[in-house]
Amino acid sequence: MSSTVYIAGAGVISAIGNNTAEHLAAFKQEQAGIADITLLDTIHKGRLPVAEVKLTNEDLIALTGLVNHNGRTALLSLSAAQEALADAAIPNLNTWRTGFVSANTVGGMDKSEDFFAAYLADNSKGKLRNVYDHECGSMTEIVADSLGITDFMTTISTACSSSANAIFYGARLIKNDVLDVVIAGGADALTKFTLNGFNTLMILDEAYCKPFDEERKGLNLGEGAGYVVLVSDRVAKTLTKPLYATLSGYCNSNDAYHQTASSPDGTGSFMAMQGALKKSGLNPGDINYINLHGTGTPNNDSSEGTAIKRVFDPHYPPMSSTKSFTGHTLGASGGVEAVFSVLAIKHGLIYPNLRFKTRMKEVSFEPETHFQANQPVKHVMSNSFGFGGNCTSLIFSAV
Amino acid sequence: MLKNKHIAGSCVISNGIVIRNRCKEFESSHTNLTDVLLSIYQHYQFSYPKFYKMDNLSKLGWLAAEILLKDRSVKVDYKPEDTGIILANTNSSLDNDLKYQHTISDIPSPSVFVYTLPNIVIGEICIRHHFKGEHAFFIQQKFDAGFIHNQVSYLLDNDILQACVCGWVDVLGEEYKAALFLVEKKETEKSIPFSAENMDLIFNKVNKLR
Repeated sequence: MSSTVYIAGAGVISAIGNNTAEHLAAFKQEQAGIADITLLDTIHKGRLPVAEVKLTNEDLIALTGLVNHNGRTALLSLSAAQEALADAAIPNLNTWRTGFVSANTVGGMDKSEDFFAAYLADNSKGKLRNVYDHECGSMTEIVADSLGITDFMTTISTACSSSANAIFYGARLIKNDVLDVVIAGGADALTKFTLNGFNTLMILDEAYCKPFDEERKGLNLGEGAGYVVLVSDRVAKTLTKPLYATLSGYCNSNDAYHQTASSPDGTGSFMAMQGALKKSGLNPGDINYINLHGTGTPNNDSSEGTAIKRVFDPHYPPMSSTKSFTGHTLGASGGVEAVFSVLAIKHGLIYPNLRFKTRMKEVSFEPETHFQANQPVKHVMSNSFGFGGNCTSLIFSAV
Repeated sequence: MLKNKHIAGSCVISNGIVIRNRCKEFESSHTNLTDVLLSIYQHYQFSYPKFYKMDNLSKLGWLAAEILLKDRSVKVDYKPEDTGIILANTNSSLDNDLKYQHTISDIPSPSVFVYTLPNIVIGEICIRHHFKGEHAFFIQQKFDAGFIHNQVSYLLDNDILQACVCGWVDVLGEEYKAALFLVEKKETEKSIPFSAENMDLIFNKVNKLR
């Protein structure tokens, strides 16, 4: 149970890039991926900005070689998972017990929407193959099959903390000697379903989001996928490339306050951060960077800020919400931001929180506003807080 | 390992009638469901402001759980992780889904939207009674006491739970019925054996009171 879990590889796709190298370049140039809607077919085009991956489904099929399925969540998932697995370059992978723990929240909803548009107009119409992969688990199966992973696969869907929970579940599978290698993270594509749902909740900003800013109005939805390759001590010894980090702490908690909102005093997020610190054996002062959940909604940022104050006051580490670049990628966000966290450790980076101007009234700290390289980044906390009060914090530490 | 299990209490709400532990306790003078639910809430003098925000499915389930557990100290007797809930119905959250759909043409209502899932009623009951153990919501054609019995027995026999609320909560328009059971391992003077037959008897008894 006490064995260390290492991160040996990372892969990511989002509105700011199709791989880790493109993401690092976008961060350095402080270039957000949020823009007017171009790919998603919706009545909100031109009104609500989103952070779309700039590749069409055909582009993604060409990139991944996934010819039998064209659900966008699976395509994004496979793209990032392929990069992560190639990056880890594990010798003789087929000799290890390997699993795929993948999160998503929309499944094949994009294709179901195509089906229903035709079906509702004429109930003899609509292609049934468009609803065949509707449920979330189908995405995981399609990608695991493409990667050739047969030992273990499972899907986690806990709203916006989904892929953080996938990573922490993957780590537990290794610690309990169930598996040796786990590709863990998640994916989510933009769909009408999520855009309309968040629009109903009145938490979308019609301008570019401003996380942790007093004047914040809401979030911008994004899409993407992010995976890390978790390996056991035994696998780590066989690798020729340097490891990114260890997953030193993790905790999940729930404040059971409201269906979609966090409690004002941030009880759930406070308990998640405290629990992750306790698990890692670190003190708040050891954390060098916090990748905030920081959606840009009045409720989340106020609640998360209050919880951070309770954990870290009076010494605050640098922190930022990379959702100011990628939008909120929902079920993918914990995986995408886990990749950013391990890249921060590997390259000594602090990412900027774009568009921040005014400090929130309830806190005495501000996020970082500019990209910084060559920083001493040994321990990174990554927060992912979901609807239903499902709160998860992960801590990554330098090897 | 199989363990003895007992129905420590029950509450059925149907046709404006509240039956607690197989005895009729209250009959509403109203016919409209929203009014029936409010009259039950007022009759028992409950005080829980969030009740007014709930959709009818959550109100019905919340009331049935409140009446089922009103003389029971489940919170004191068990750890939160040892108590759970297994529910089923036939109409999912369709009653509220339709109401939400009607709001879309005007301004889609966030407060109606957040109840467009059947398991929200489980959340409301868990928050109220501090249940933190296993829970599940099943959609089925009709009340299947055998199925519920299997699910709950598995959880109690394997010590995943020590006490479980289970049963049926269904609403569509003016058609509604709730039947909840508290299942525990300890036998009391008033408890009856936990079996599909006993759940069916209690579930159907309200029909004879019409």
